[in-house]
Amino acid sequence: MRGQPDMETIVRDLGGDPLDLPFWQACGEGRFLLHRCGVCRRHYWPASRCVRHGAQNMAWVEGSGRGTLYTYTVIHHAYTASMKGRVPYVVGVIQLDEGPFFHSNVVGCPLERLAVGQPLRATMIEHESGLVVPVFRPIALVGDHSQT
Amino acid sequence: MRAACAIVGMGVTAQGIGLGIESRELRAQAVDLALADARLERDAIDGYIHTYLDREDLRYMGLSPNFSVSMMTGGATPVFSILSAIGMIVSGQAEMVACVYGQAQSARVARGGQTIGGYGYGYPTLYGLVGAAATHALHARRHMHLYGTTSRHLGAVAVTQRNYACVRPGTLGYDKPITLEDHQASPMIADPFRRYDCTRDTDGGVAVLVTTAERARSLRSDPVYILGAGTGHNIAHWHRGTVYENHDNIGPAKERAFSQAGMTLADIQMAQLYDPFTISPLMQIEAYGFVAEGQGGPFYADGGAAADGPIPTNTGGGQLSAYYTTGFTGIIEAVLQLRGQAGAGQLRRAETALVSGHGMNAGVQNTWAHATAILGMHA
Repeated sequence: MRGQPDMETIVRDLGGDPLDLPFWQACGEGRFLLHRCGVCRRHYWPASRCVRHGAQNMAWVEGSGRGTLYTYTVIHHAYTASMKGRVPYVVGVIQLDEGPFFHSNVVGCPLERLAVGQPLRATMIEHESGLVVPVFRPIALVGDHSQT
Repeated sequence: MRAACAIVGMGVTAQGIGLGIESRELRAQAVDLALADARLERDAIDGYIHTYLDREDLRYMGLSPNFSVSMMTGGATPVFSILSAIGMIVSGQAEMVACVYGQAQSARVARGGQTIGGYGYGYPTLYGLVGAAATHALHARRHMHLYGTTSRHLGAVAVTQRNYACVRPGTLGYDKPITLEDHQASPMIADPFRRYDCTRDTDGGVAVLVTTAERARSLRSDPVYILGAGTGHNIAHWHRGTVYENHDNIGPAKERAFSQAGMTLADIQMAQLYDPFTISPLMQIEAYGFVAEGQGGPFYADGGAAADGPIPTNTGGGQLSAYYTTGFTGIIEAVLQLRGQAGAGQLRRAETALVSGHGMNAGVQNTWAHATAILGMHA
């Protein structure tokens, strides 16, 4: 008998890569990990071989979970049934303080106040799949105290 | 390397939505049309490249080549297929290679398949990053932030290309003009893209026959020479952290293509640039250096890509307004223009053309493959 699908199955079904399982596992513990080369200290996401030093010294390390909004789109058109109840929503590319880009939803920010360059921080939420995933919120909206 | 090979035959089937013709039949029709165009018998084709993932049905096609290869690097595949044909010819594997595309997208969707627009890739899918519009919108938003590019600039691309399609029978946009206001009123898909910033899947087949320049000259008076070509991959920009500023890695592709051709940008009379979305030709016009970085929007708004502009671009309506052959659309248009077969849309100066292809990310979104080809009438 099968119970809940395991995390690897969930990640695969969502289009993710099992190489990143340590990242998703740590999200469940409230930690935001990055893949880092032990030789040149360059951070990567998703899991990668260092372009200079290969795989040998790659390890998961704890990251800040902070960054800035580098670019974004607001999805209005529902291509799939599961998107219908969700649109419009924001998919942003966050440049993490450690350097790598991370795709995520930007939440807690009115669409008209979205701005490239705005500082964001990760918050863990439970995805409909049961996986705990980071989404990003503005660190501060000037003149706006309604943020939780 | 300049003009080692040439295109001596081209077949283009009907192109449109819901043709009701299956994929392999579209390819078979395209091959038959290309053979007729080149006045060749079936057995002349001794090499075959299928520009898609699945295997080819050579029995159905009625062909007996030395090899049949299926290749796929998204919308860059057609240009790559021509480069691969040259490689096969130069390495002695074939004399006449057919590069063939044919897809019945509407039949696939009717069977419950996903539209091309609905493709997802990798972990961003869990955040709802679905569809090519959303990923290309990331380029567009960054461009807007850096240079002040506006939705109306994107609209100028849509209107420019529709104007070309309006006088081209057989295209989706034939006799259906749109205005900038129509663009601005069209529904938002993936901000900043509206409906008229996006392409639609269409059904259709294309075949191009590539042979040596020498044989090409013996077959017809107007072979279209492949004067030079180059490739560049956007994974390099991913590693540098500049992937959103770069729609493609055009630098190395341009350098190699122009070096092979012994030409400069000033020698190019038209551009046929891969256009899944309006931002795409706008950013490529900049990346090739036709205008300064960030000036693609004003260039389009000023009519720079129109028939009487400095560099007529996507002169058959492109994929945005003509039809979507996943990268063959620009090759078809270049060949028609160079041969003087573009009808009411025929350019006055049409002896050289720049063609690009783009697509298929390499493990993370926006890391597209790219290929450039320079086509011309004079070896």
